[in-house]
Amino acid sequence: MPTKKETPLYEVISPWAEADPIPPRGLTVERPADLDGKTIGLFHIWKRASKPILDVLERELKKRFPAARFNWYAESQMNTPEIESNNKAKYETWLKGLDTVIFAYGD
Amino acid sequence: MYDAISAEERGIPAVAIISDGFLEDAKSAASSRAMPGVRYVPTTVPPESTIKDVIEAGVLVAVDSIAKAAVTPLTAAERSPQAKPPEKISRIVFKGNLDEVNRFYYGRGWTDGFPIIPPTEEKVAEMLTGTDLKPDTLLGKLIPRQGKATIEKIAVNAVMAGALPTYMPVLIAATKLLLNSEMGFLGFCTFGVSTGSWSPFWVINGPIRNEINLNSGSGVLSPGNIANAAIGRAMGLIIKNIGGIRKGIEDMGVMGNPMKYTMVMAENEEASPWEPLHTEYGLKKTDNSVMISFPQSYIQHYPPSSDGEGIMRSVVNNIVPGMVYTVVFPPMHAKTLASLGWTKQSIKDYILKNARMAADRQRSMIAQNIGKSSESSTVPIIRDPRTLRIIVAGGPGAFIAHAIGGGPTPGKAEIEKIELPSGWDKLVKKYRNIVPNYVRY
Repeated sequence: MPTKKETPLYEVISPWAEADPIPPRGLTVERPADLDGKTIGLFHIWKRASKPILDVLERELKKRFPAARFNWYAESQMNTPEIESNNKAKYETWLKGLDTVIFAYGD
Repeated sequence: MYDAISAEERGIPAVAIISDGFLEDAKSAASSRAMPGVRYVPTTVPPESTIKDVIEAGVLVAVDSIAKAAVTPLTAAERSPQAKPPEKISRIVFKGNLDEVNRFYYGRGWTDGFPIIPPTEEKVAEMLTGTDLKPDTLLGKLIPRQGKATIEKIAVNAVMAGALPTYMPVLIAATKLLLNSEMGFLGFCTFGVSTGSWSPFWVINGPIRNEINLNSGSGVLSPGNIANAAIGRAMGLIIKNIGGIRKGIEDMGVMGNPMKYTMVMAENEEASPWEPLHTEYGLKKTDNSVMISFPQSYIQHYPPSSDGEGIMRSVVNNIVPGMVYTVVFPPMHAKTLASLGWTKQSIKDYILKNARMAADRQRSMIAQNIGKSSESSTVPIIRDPRTLRIIVAGGPGAFIAHAIGGGPTPGKAEIEKIELPSGWDKLVKKYRNIVPNYVRY
C-alpha cells in the first residue's frame, strides 16, 4: 500500500467559468404612498395558478382600496420575458398607464 | 422576476408574487439581471395549482404583504445595493490527491456526483489537442449565468467527464448549439431550468461516429462506451459550470431525470436503409453533426408483429403528447419497412395521420375544460412533421424507442455541423483503439 507521501498530488484547473461582474442596480422609482385611487397593473403568465391568484388578489385589494383601478395583461409568449416578446411595444404602452404593477406567478 | 425588473426599468414600481419553493430561484434570477432589490412576496400556493381553495388560502395570507410591498418606501439598501465582490477563483484552484480533489470539486458543486478525472495542466493540454482553437477562444456567454464558454473551460469539463481529445469537436459544436439557442419557451435555458426535468439528448451523425467509437448498435443508450458516456456527461458539466444551472437553484426540475447524466446516440447509418438524419437538415452525408432535443421521457415498445402494419401500428399506438419526438427504429424494422416502400417521409406522414387521441382527452388536459361535455371525435397528436425525427439505431431485436418531450423550434438551433481540427486522422489513430475488449467466459 502506498503511504500518504507516495500518493500522487494533482494541481487542478477550475471548471467554473469566469463571468463579467454586473454592477447591481438599485431601485429608483418611488413607491406610491397608498394604493387607493391608483391604477394597479395585474400581469399573469401562462401557468395555471397565475390568473386565479390575481383574481383573488384583485378582489381583496378592492375591499381594502375601493378607489383603486385595475388593468390586466396576459403574457403573450410562454416563458419569454414580455419585454423580449413580439409584444414589447404593447407591453410598454400598458406599463405607462400604471401606478404600480403586480406579477404572478413565479414558479 | 424578469418581467418585474423590466417594469422597474421603465419607471413602474413592481412586486412579483412567487411560490415559496422558488425563493432561491427568484434570488438567482434577480441577481442575473443585476437588480437584487426587486421586490417579491412568497406565497404558499403550489406551482401549477388549480385548486381554488388552496389558491384562495395562499393569497389571503399574502395579500397584506403584497400591498405593503407595493407602498413601502425604498430603503437605502434597495436604492444602492452593495456589489457582492465576485469570488476570484484562481485558474489553479486546488492541489491534493485523487480523493481530496474529488471531495473539493464535489463540495463546490462542480460535479454530477460521480468521481471526476482531475483536470491537471497535462490532462487539459492533452484535451486541447482535439481542437485548433486557442484555449482562450471565447465561443460566447452561456445563459443564465453568462459564463464565458472558452475552449479551455470546455476542455477542463471534458477532462473531468473522462472524455478523450477526439470528442472535443463534438463538445465545441454542442456548446455552440446551446449558445445559439433561442430565448423563450423552446430555448435551452428554459428546458434547463424548468420544473419539467427536460434532458439534453444528443444525436450524432457522420463519419466521426466511427472515428471516436460512438455506439450506434446494441445497447446504444446503455453504459459501456466512453464516447456515449463522456460526451453527454461533459455537456452536463458544461451546462452546470459554464451556464451556471444547478439543481434546486436554477434547475427546478421536480423529479429530475436520469437521462441528464448522459443521453448520446449515434445513428446507425450503415444499418439504415434511409438517408441519415443530418442530410435532412441540409448537410452532406460526409459532414459530421450533432443534433439536440430535450426529451422528458423515453419509452420502448414491442410491435405485435414484425410486418409493416404491426411495426407502424405499434409506433402510432405509443405516440404520446409532447413537443418534439424522436422515433428510433432498430435496423430489422427499418429494413422491413424500407423493403415495403416506406421512407422517412412516408413514416412521418403515417404517424401524423394515424397517431390520434380523443378530442375530449386533449381538451381534458386543459384545466378549464375539466367537467365540460365531450364529443367522440379524434385529433392528431402531432401536427407539425418538423417536430418528428426518425432515426435508425440499436442492435438485433424488435424493440422500438421513442424519446418524447421538448426541443428547439423547427429551424432554430436544432443541429450543428462538427468542425474537425487539422491533423484529425493522426489524432483519431492515437485514440481509436481505446475500446472495451470483453473476456469470453
